[in-house]
Amino acid sequence: MKTEQRLHLCQGTGCLSAGADRLYKALAHELSKLDLPVELKRTGCHGFCQRGPIVICEPQGFFYCAIQPQDAGEIAEALSQGRAVERLCYRDPQTGRPIPTYHEIPFYKGQSRIVLRNCGHIDPEDIEDYLAVEGYQAARRALLEMTPEQICAEVERSGLRGRGGAGFPTGRKWQLCRQAPGSEKYLICNADGGTPGAFMARSILEADPHAVIEGMLIAAYAIGAQQAFIYVRAEDSLAVKRLRIAMAQARERGFLGKNIFNSGFDFDIEIFEGAGAFVCGEETALIASIEGRRGMPSPRPPYPVQSGLWGRPTNVNNVKTYASVPHIIRNGADWYSQIGTKQSKGTAIFSLTGKVNNCGLVEVPMGTTLAEIIYEIGGGIPGGKALKAVQTGGPTGGCLPASLLNTPVDFDSLTALGAIMGSGGMVVMDEDTCMVDIARYSLDFTQKESCGKCAPCRLGTKQMLNILEAITQGRGRMEDLDRLERLAKSVQAGSLCGLGQTAPNPVLTTLRYFREEYEEHIKYKHCRAAVCKGLVKAPCSHTCPAEIDVPRYVRLIAAGRFADAHAVISEKIPFPSVCGLVCFHPCEARCRRALVDDAIAIRALKRAAAERDNGRWKLYVKRRPPTGKRVAVVGSGPAGLTAAYYLARKGHAVTVFEAFEKPGGMMRYGIPEYRLPHEILDAEISEIEAAGVEIHTKTKIESLDQLFAQGFDAIFLALGAHRGVKLGIPGEDEVGVLDCIDFLRRVKLGYHVELGERVAVIGGGNAAIDAARTALRLGAKATVPAADADQEVLDASRMARRLGAKEVRIIYRRSSTEMPASPEEVHEALTEGVQIEFLTAPIKMTKENGSIRLDCVRMRLGPVDASGRRHPEPIPGSAFSIYVDRVISAIGEAPEIPEGFGLRQTKWSTLVVDPDTLMTERPGVFAGGDVVTGPASVIEAIAAGRRAASSIDKYLGGDGDISEVLIDPEEDAPFELEEGERPRVPIQTLRIGERLGGFRQVELGYTAEEAISEARRCLMCDLEER
Amino acid sequence: MNSVATLERVETIALTIDGVKIKTKAGQTVLQACREAGIYLPTLCYDPDLEPYGGCRLCIVEVAGMRGLPTACTLPAQEGMVVRTESEQINSVRRATLELILADHGGDCLTCRKNGHCQLQEVSGYLGVECRPALLREQTRPIDRSTPFFDFDINKCILCGICVRACAELQGAHAIDFAWRGIETRVTPAGGGLWINSNCEYCGECVSRCPTGALVPKNSQRASRYVKSVCPYCGVGCTIYLGIRGDRIVSVEGDKESPVNNGHLCVKGRFGIIEAVHSPNRLKKPLIKKDGEFVEASWDEALDLVAQKFRELKERYGGEALGVIASARVANEANYLAQKLARAVFGTNKVDCCARICHAPSVHGLLRSFGSGAMTNSISEIEHADCILLIGSNTTEAHPTIGSRIRRAVRKGAKLIVADPREIELAKIADIHLPLRPGTDITLANALAHHIIVSGLHNEKFIQERTEGFEEFWAVVQKYTPEYAENITGVPAEKIKQAAEMYARGRPGMIVYCLGVTEHRTGVISVQAIANLALITGHIGQPSTGVNPLRGQNNVQGACDMGALPEFLPGYQRWDNPEHVKKFEEAWGVKLPKTLGYYPLIFCSRMWDDILKGNLHGLYIIGEDVALTEANITKVRKALQSLDFLVVQELFMTPTAELAHVVLPAAGFAEIDGTFTNSERRVQRVRKAIEPPGECKPDWQIVCEISNRMGYPMNYQSAEEVFEELRRLMPIYGGITYKRLDENIGLQWPCPDEQHPGTRFLHKDKFTRGLGKFAGIEQEPPEEVPDAEYPFLLTTGRVLQHYNCASMTRQVSGLEKLVPENFIEISPKDAEKLGVKDGELVRVVSRRGAVLARAKVRQIAEGVVFMPFHHKESPTNLITNDALDPICGTAEVKACAVRIERAA
Repeated sequence: MKTEQRLHLCQGTGCLSAGADRLYKALAHELSKLDLPVELKRTGCHGFCQRGPIVICEPQGFFYCAIQPQDAGEIAEALSQGRAVERLCYRDPQTGRPIPTYHEIPFYKGQSRIVLRNCGHIDPEDIEDYLAVEGYQAARRALLEMTPEQICAEVERSGLRGRGGAGFPTGRKWQLCRQAPGSEKYLICNADGGTPGAFMARSILEADPHAVIEGMLIAAYAIGAQQAFIYVRAEDSLAVKRLRIAMAQARERGFLGKNIFNSGFDFDIEIFEGAGAFVCGEETALIASIEGRRGMPSPRPPYPVQSGLWGRPTNVNNVKTYASVPHIIRNGADWYSQIGTKQSKGTAIFSLTGKVNNCGLVEVPMGTTLAEIIYEIGGGIPGGKALKAVQTGGPTGGCLPASLLNTPVDFDSLTALGAIMGSGGMVVMDEDTCMVDIARYSLDFTQKESCGKCAPCRLGTKQMLNILEAITQGRGRMEDLDRLERLAKSVQAGSLCGLGQTAPNPVLTTLRYFREEYEEHIKYKHCRAAVCKGLVKAPCSHTCPAEIDVPRYVRLIAAGRFADAHAVISEKIPFPSVCGLVCFHPCEARCRRALVDDAIAIRALKRAAAERDNGRWKLYVKRRPPTGKRVAVVGSGPAGLTAAYYLARKGHAVTVFEAFEKPGGMMRYGIPEYRLPHEILDAEISEIEAAGVEIHTKTKIESLDQLFAQGFDAIFLALGAHRGVKLGIPGEDEVGVLDCIDFLRRVKLGYHVELGERVAVIGGGNAAIDAARTALRLGAKATVPAADADQEVLDASRMARRLGAKEVRIIYRRSSTEMPASPEEVHEALTEGVQIEFLTAPIKMTKENGSIRLDCVRMRLGPVDASGRRHPEPIPGSAFSIYVDRVISAIGEAPEIPEGFGLRQTKWSTLVVDPDTLMTERPGVFAGGDVVTGPASVIEAIAAGRRAASSIDKYLGGDGDISEVLIDPEEDAPFELEEGERPRVPIQTLRIGERLGGFRQVELGYTAEEAISEARRCLMCDLEER
Repeated sequence: MNSVATLERVETIALTIDGVKIKTKAGQTVLQACREAGIYLPTLCYDPDLEPYGGCRLCIVEVAGMRGLPTACTLPAQEGMVVRTESEQINSVRRATLELILADHGGDCLTCRKNGHCQLQEVSGYLGVECRPALLREQTRPIDRSTPFFDFDINKCILCGICVRACAELQGAHAIDFAWRGIETRVTPAGGGLWINSNCEYCGECVSRCPTGALVPKNSQRASRYVKSVCPYCGVGCTIYLGIRGDRIVSVEGDKESPVNNGHLCVKGRFGIIEAVHSPNRLKKPLIKKDGEFVEASWDEALDLVAQKFRELKERYGGEALGVIASARVANEANYLAQKLARAVFGTNKVDCCARICHAPSVHGLLRSFGSGAMTNSISEIEHADCILLIGSNTTEAHPTIGSRIRRAVRKGAKLIVADPREIELAKIADIHLPLRPGTDITLANALAHHIIVSGLHNEKFIQERTEGFEEFWAVVQKYTPEYAENITGVPAEKIKQAAEMYARGRPGMIVYCLGVTEHRTGVISVQAIANLALITGHIGQPSTGVNPLRGQNNVQGACDMGALPEFLPGYQRWDNPEHVKKFEEAWGVKLPKTLGYYPLIFCSRMWDDILKGNLHGLYIIGEDVALTEANITKVRKALQSLDFLVVQELFMTPTAELAHVVLPAAGFAEIDGTFTNSERRVQRVRKAIEPPGECKPDWQIVCEISNRMGYPMNYQSAEEVFEELRRLMPIYGGITYKRLDENIGLQWPCPDEQHPGTRFLHKDKFTRGLGKFAGIEQEPPEEVPDAEYPFLLTTGRVLQHYNCASMTRQVSGLEKLVPENFIEISPKDAEKLGVKDGELVRVVSRRGAVLARAKVRQIAEGVVFMPFHHKESPTNLITNDALDPICGTAEVKACAVRIERAA
């Protein structure tokens, strides 16, 4: 039944496992019910396996994904009306907008499908379908009109290189095999899909087996082989089945067997089912396996083209290579050689997997960049996470960092960077991936798959694995890194086959591109992705810069013991309340509960504990006898005060010098009141003073010599970063751009700041949000909204406009995904009416009629820059102007170091310190916090203060131990885990109407019941090992 | 023809290694070129006898214009190649690799039995390791001590793969292989369990080649000196080195230079010599039976008695009342003197040897067809055959190193056709297995010939030019269509056709056969029927062709050559040739017995009736256990018991010796000088390595002593002197001297003069008899065919682990442990019918007697059972049939009718 309307139902392994066979029955049933003249066609893999089962409706190209049998009726009905079922269409992950046809879906739109052309569009079990798309025409032409030499020459001229990974020119290989002495020759198709995460060979065999058979027929004729083998894993049973069907049909048609096309040429193929050893992807091991020997590789030369299967000349190519051949013969070498790069012609096929929105089979011209594949076809990284690395070529491929994403995908570029094309695996990794662990994981695989024949591979991979395991378990030593590198290089140089020669790639590339992660594991026992089991008790506490024992206090809250929970927090930081309000909570980003529903609201729980403290923890605080040593701390921000607090606890006499009126640094002057009320800060600072810390405000230190002269034994510089960074665009000085930090401080100090009606804030960090929201509040003073404004409110920008309030907009040059500000802050800002112009950059400012004309340009995301993010670039001709009254610059801050310190600074004006001790080059002078790192967070500053305290204590002769136990660690008891999903308990906030009138705290916090309920969502990862 | 010439011309190429220009043969690897040039390259996995491997990665080199660091052992040397064997990179990678190996190698060098001979030590010394790297893991995996001959310490294994490759490539047993992957990769006996439970054949090739202490022989000691010798067991005649320390043999190694075995040995040769030679059960003093008991006697006393008794019997009954059974196990010199004693001193032609029970039909059959009754070609040629037709030979068990050679040939691509009722090891790797019924070889051979001829695959030119009798032959063979043969042999006609085509198309094709063909009363004609195949195809007179009987005992060929047969004078010289007779009469100074050449000849198989008829009264048996190895031994024993006087010269107290009046203790092969002649007509030297135990004397000396005491002086000063006499009388040995034997690895007869290099293959341009003779042979059934009472056809043969009467091998504890008792192979269907389970004890009954044996259910043709004959506790020859070949007197031990009863 041939009709215009066709329903293509994918029957690949992926879709079948998602229930495509049941779907087929349901569709058939529904179609027959409606008696529609529609052809229901089973096809092979479309490549978009993640979204299976997939149904395509041709000729319109309607694309339905993740279809269940119950959807069949609706599809049939829509078909009868010639429309698409919007509900079942693919949706743009960004906009949520349905995209009805596959031609428009970025995953397909970005591809150039040549080898995969038929996949998903023909029935692999019906040779008629293949014949209908010019199937076997190329073979007919080759056998009847071309000489074998001509074929070899044509393929060589096309520039086709072996798709198995090594990239040897295919035409030349055929020529060599053809010329090798001996009348008996063999052809082998390597379809051993041994690479984890790479499934293109299997998919092509499942979807378009005749293309492979036709390619082999042409190759066999070209080299003079009459017998071929397809080496495929027995476990790829569907591929085997479809191949058998295809071979039988081809034989029936005379495309295999005797006297093919009456050319006098005889050829047949046999399937060899392999048992599934990774090394059998290596051609000599594969040959050994076919010969019935253990699949172990042999050194080359001699190459298989000289002496292969049973010692006869043998041509080995993989599925993709053979499947490319009919296209080359049909369309000519010139056509093919136009695709791709100079050295790498044609297309590359990848199986795109890992942390990427669209997983599946991807075919692109050689030379396409990794960024294009990942962002345009792959749709970027899910969950707004940052991309960290890409591993190409499977577990023996190298890991390229995000900064190298502009690398064009071709044989030579990848090799130059230490990665390989391999068989085409492409695994995308986000920030939750530990690169040391990836190296360990890869080695664990290769080590187990080593055939054992040669010592470097068998033993070297194991030695490397042992070292990597030691590092991931916290037993690593710095000298291990050199050992690891030496081992890797020897294994690379000394191994017999490709497996051993490439097995060190993950190690070498991660050492090359991610060395700091190794060092963190070794020196600080820290895994920034919170992955390595041996180091990470729970990802939340591991991620916390101050290492607060999160699961323990959450558990205490779950038990209703808020004060005890506060004690746990106080073991690590002197600012539990501050952190409960303003911490940027990296812990929540790693929370495993997020895999179920939402991360635990850790910060809010911290606040809940702080609010219910009874001070009992103070009884357990240790006070050590005075040491007689004196420490000067310059700066009273979170770093300085934390260091002062712990140094005082260790018995040192600590004096804090603060230039401003009041202590607290950025906590006081940088964070708006509506987030952190000053009385809360004051309370925690007074606890610090109570510990014996003297604070001298309004004292600016200009010279270190002076301090030493006053008898201080050590100095800790925690000056913070207070100087705004200039935008660097014309007109900036003329129009009087406000510096964000300066602006926020002035507001805090109660000065009047003239903003005007319209404010533009430039930047995308939390400071920008703070500035914008603060500006909104200042301007909104006069127009307190009506009390009823909170009903329906919450399309905020609309409301803001209705109230005629000020216009505050943030101008940010990247997209929301890249925005560094906390999503919840962004959310609140939008809620309150701040507008954000994404992908926009100011290029010029001029005064015009009393206001400022801000010339901007729209941006788009281009190639990836050194930070691993896609670099925004101006869209030509997109310039536009906006008019504002004030511009606030919030693009970053830098420290200001008094000249008299005489300390070495970086080009970012930060201080140079020993990363381990935090000591500057001047003995006894330490530094930490923003003055060293540049602008960071409160919790990171606290962590720096802790490290400085420990280090200074050691410097002064102490043991450096600042740990405290304020509650018996055994006291917390696990609770019963709840089954199933339960999203985060929402945190109450001030109604919009009540916000903009002033600086009232916006977030209201949890009630005790809410906090307990939220705490009970914790999965207690830290108890996993117990 | 041109292409062959090109192939044979050795091309020389030049390459530069470390700056030095080096010339080598094309086809060599860079490593081989280095070794030739005296350049050392460290390696742990290279073995010149094995295929290139490239596993240890230590012989890496740099080659100009080549990527990476290729291994020299796998890299073909090429003209103009520029190779560096030393550089900083090479050595750093080598050292890193070596350190990895050392980090996974357990054990303490000083207490290791390989200390000082360990390849790993040598390489470590060369590369310079400063300290022992920390072990990668604890090396406490259990040592496999399960085999009787060697221990396997996996902790010391460096996975060089030499053992695995030797087992596969040299022995062809595939008893060990790599298992698991990654760090867990290990060498494992087949089946994965203990070594003893594997299909290991204990050839010891792996042990002898292991570069470290992973595989070491049990109780091994290093020798202080080595003596070159020949293995005393089967007819292959493997060349060996005996390692001697003080007065003991402490090691046995194959001679790698020898074309016979290329260093290869079987379990008996490698592990079955020391204990047998040094057995406490060796006879050490002459024994005289007094009142039914053996009493130790002095040599004088015993020899005087022997001489006196033989003299008396000769005087009373005439010379023909005496007989000598010479030995296929003793040296040529003793055999020559034994037959001389019989013919010149005793005055009898009743002299024979155990060739009678095995290859007498080959001697006669091949003589009739070709004119020469020995293996036409050489053992080493087997490996180069394109097609091997193997008939009635369980080669891997009976001629183990030839068995391995056949496997190697198959590995190299040779086609193999196995005609055997049993699914023997070689049948499993054969291209075609023809499981014929025992005793139907003639039908099979005729049918093969029939199909070759009707398919036009016969060699007409050869038939015309070099043969006679084709028409008569075709007249007989015409009716033997494959379909006709199917009914008789039980082999499907289609398979016969395939086999015929395969053999005929072989370039070259070779026939190898053994006792499955000869030990029938149709033995001689069966051999002729097989010889016909070579004649129609022309597969003879060229390398790797011919018709090749595998001779049984280590010197059975020599015993025949020496004339220890009633039908020939030494060197197959003939009674009916007056010149030959005259030569011997002149040389020996006597008239030869008048009965010479009178039929029926009293073969040893006819001696028993001869004794029982009262014609034979005194018998001198040298090194032959007729009471165990002859057919129907009830009759043999009865005959021996009725002799007036029986002298047995032996190493051990055998069942035959027990019946003797006088037992004379002989020196073994390691204790004498002399020569053995192996199956391929190769004369090799054995040398005195140690003193004989007790008062044992060399056989030739004992014969001389008896002769001297009987008044015929034999005053030879040495074995060599005996040899000098015999070679002057035997043209085929004419050019062979001890000196030449020392200089070469033996010489193959015919070797008429001292300039002659010996003869690798016979019948090159002309058959010994002139034209090859076709014979039209009709099938005759075995004398006994199964019937209702005795429904099974029993066939017999050897096992790998024991040798014939097993008087030596059963002294070896390990061999005894492997095969402690007699067994019977039964097909699964028959076993089921009988209700017999594998391992059950059964009684096997024939018309002549009954024995107990352990049932082994195995693949064997239905209705056929198989038993070995090594165990005197359960002597299979109690039941075998002594029906004789009318021409040569060989008994039909390969076929008799039996029934099987459950013993319990």
